[in-house]
Amino acid sequence: MIEIRYAVEIRNVRVSIDKNEILDSVSLSIRKNERWAVIGPNGAGKSTLIKVIAGLLRPVNGTVLLEDNDLRSYNPRKRALAMSYVPQKPDGVIPYTVYDFIMLGRYASMGLLGQATDEDRRMIETAAGICDVKHLMMRTMNTLSGGELQRVLLAGAVAQNSSILLMDEPTTFLDPAHERLFFDALERLHENKQLTTIMVTHDINSAIYQCSHIAALCNGKLSFAGGTEEFRSKCPEILEDVFGIPFKRFTCNQKAESVFGSWGVSCH
Amino acid sequence: MGCFMPLRKKTVVSIIALGVVTFASIIICPMIGIVTIGPQRILNDENLRFIFFMIRIPRVLVALFAGGGLAVAGMICQGIFRNPLADPYTLGVSSGASLGAALCILAGVGGSVLGLSVVAAGAFAGALCSIVIIYSFAWSRESNSSTILLAGVIVATLCSGLIMFVHFVGGLHKSFQIVRWIMGGVDGVNYSLLIMMCIPLLIFFIIAWIFMPQLDQLLTGDNIAHSRGVDVRMSRNVFIAIVVLAVGGIVAVCGPIGFIGILAPHACRMLVPGIRHRLLLFCSFLSGGTFLVLADTLARSLVPPSEIPVGIITSLMGGPFFLFVLFRNKKHLLI
Repeated sequence: MIEIRYAVEIRNVRVSIDKNEILDSVSLSIRKNERWAVIGPNGAGKSTLIKVIAGLLRPVNGTVLLEDNDLRSYNPRKRALAMSYVPQKPDGVIPYTVYDFIMLGRYASMGLLGQATDEDRRMIETAAGICDVKHLMMRTMNTLSGGELQRVLLAGAVAQNSSILLMDEPTTFLDPAHERLFFDALERLHENKQLTTIMVTHDINSAIYQCSHIAALCNGKLSFAGGTEEFRSKCPEILEDVFGIPFKRFTCNQKAESVFGSWGVSCH
Repeated sequence: MGCFMPLRKKTVVSIIALGVVTFASIIICPMIGIVTIGPQRILNDENLRFIFFMIRIPRVLVALFAGGGLAVAGMICQGIFRNPLADPYTLGVSSGASLGAALCILAGVGGSVLGLSVVAAGAFAGALCSIVIIYSFAWSRESNSSTILLAGVIVATLCSGLIMFVHFVGGLHKSFQIVRWIMGGVDGVNYSLLIMMCIPLLIFFIIAWIFMPQLDQLLTGDNIAHSRGVDVRMSRNVFIAIVVLAVGGIVAVCGPIGFIGILAPHACRMLVPGIRHRLLLFCSFLSGGTFLVLADTLARSLVPPSEIPVGIITSLMGGPFFLFVLFRNKKHLLI
C-alpha cells in the first residue's frame, strides 16, 4: 500500500469572484491527523478557502488534492466519504427533526434505497453523544438556539464519519462551556480515529492552544502557514501584521503560557 | 422510510385511512354521474355497462393519475426550490402548454398526432418549449434555484400576455374554445388517452421514487447536501426533466388543472412528520389523485346534464379547505 502523503494539498489556488481577487496563489499541505486553524481578518478569504477544499467553489487556477488524488476525480459520494463540511450556518430553515437531520449525514454510506442499518443508528447515537445533542433529538431544527444548531450541524458531519472534517467558524455561537466541550469532543475524535480537521476561527487563543497548525490569511494571501509553536514564537508581531492593530502578550502565572489580545492597547 | 424516526401510531392510522378513501373513491365514483349506475344495473343493462367500463372507469383513472402526478410534481418543485409556493405551474409549464394549445386553436388545425389531438400535442410542445427557454437562460451561468424560479415566473407572464393576444385576434368563437381548454377537464377520455398519459407518468414515478433520498438532502440547502455526497446540480436537473415530462403529459390530456400541486403536498406534509419524501410521495399521490377524482365526480353530477369544468371545482373546493388547514397548522409549514 502506498502511504498517503497529504490528507489535503492545495497548489497555487486562485479564486476570483466578479473580478475581485479572493484567493491569490495559495498553497498549503496538510498531513493526516493534523489540526489546522485558519485565521485572518474579515474578508481575507478564509471561508472561500474552506469552500474550495470542500469542492463547493471551483478555483480559477490551481488544484486541490484529496488524499493525493485530484478533487475533481472524486464522485460526490466518494468525496463525502473522505471529507465532510460544516457551514457557519445553514441557508434557510431546515424542516427536519434533529434526529432525522443527523441521520441524513449517513447518506454517502447508504445504498441506493437509502435504508438505515443498525450500524447507521449506532453512528448517529455516537455522533449525538459526542456533540452533546442527545436531548435535542426530537426537536425540529427551526426551534434550536444558535449554539444548539451549530452542535447539531457538527453532529451531522461527525455522523458522516469521514477522515477529513472542514468547519467554518464552528465555535462562534457557543458559550464557553460548550466551546470547551467542542474541543474536548474534537480531541476524542482525534484519539479514536485518523482525523484531519481544518477550521476557520476568530479565536486566536483557541487556535494556538487547541490546534497543531495555523494558516493566517490576509488579503487572499497566506502570511503564515506552519506549526503552532512557531506561530506562537512570532506572536504578537505576526498578529499585528495580519490584523493591522497592535497586540499584546498577556502572560499567565509564571508559566510559559500566554494569551494574546488587543485589550487596553491603544490604536492609532 | 427505514432511515428516519419510527412513525407515530396516529400517523400510520391516517395514512391507512387515506389509502382506504382512495380505494373507495375508485370503486364508488364511477357509479356516480349524470346517470347513477349501481352494481345491479352494471350486471343487467348493456348500455350502462358500456358507459361504466368504457367511459366512467377510464375517466376516474385519468383523474386519479393526473391528480396524483400533479401532486407529486408539486411536492418535487417545492423541494428543489425550497419554496412552499412552487409548483409545476410556477415553472411556466402550464402557461407554455396553454399558449401551445391556444396557437393550435387559433390556427384551426384539426386531426390527430399519434392518437393525441393536435391541440393536445401543441400543449405538450408548448410545455417543453417553455422549459427549454427557462433552462437555457437560467442554466447558462452559475445559477441557483431562485434564478430558475424567477425565470419560470417571467416566462409564465410572457405566455399569459401572448395568450391574451391570441384571444384578441382569435375572435369570439375561438376565444371561447381557448377559455374552455384552459379551464381543464378530464371529460372525453378513453383508454388510449389513459395509456398515453400513464407512460410518461410511470417513468416519472419510478425515477422520482429512486431520487427521493436526494430530495431529502436538497432541503438542507445546497452546501450541506453537496458535502453529504449529493450531486446537487444533476439531481435538480433530473427532477426538473421528469416534472416537465409528467406535467406535459397531464396537461396535454386534461388541460391545465391548477392548485393540486400546492394543495395536496402541503396537506400531506402536515400528516407526515419531518419530511421523508418517499412516504410523502406516496401520500401526495393518494391525496392528489383522490381529490381530483372527487372533484371530477362533483363536476359531472352537480348540475346534470351539464358538466362544470373541473378546474373551477378544484379551486372552489381546494381554496377554502387549504386556508382552513393552513391556519390551523401554521407551524408545520416549514418549506
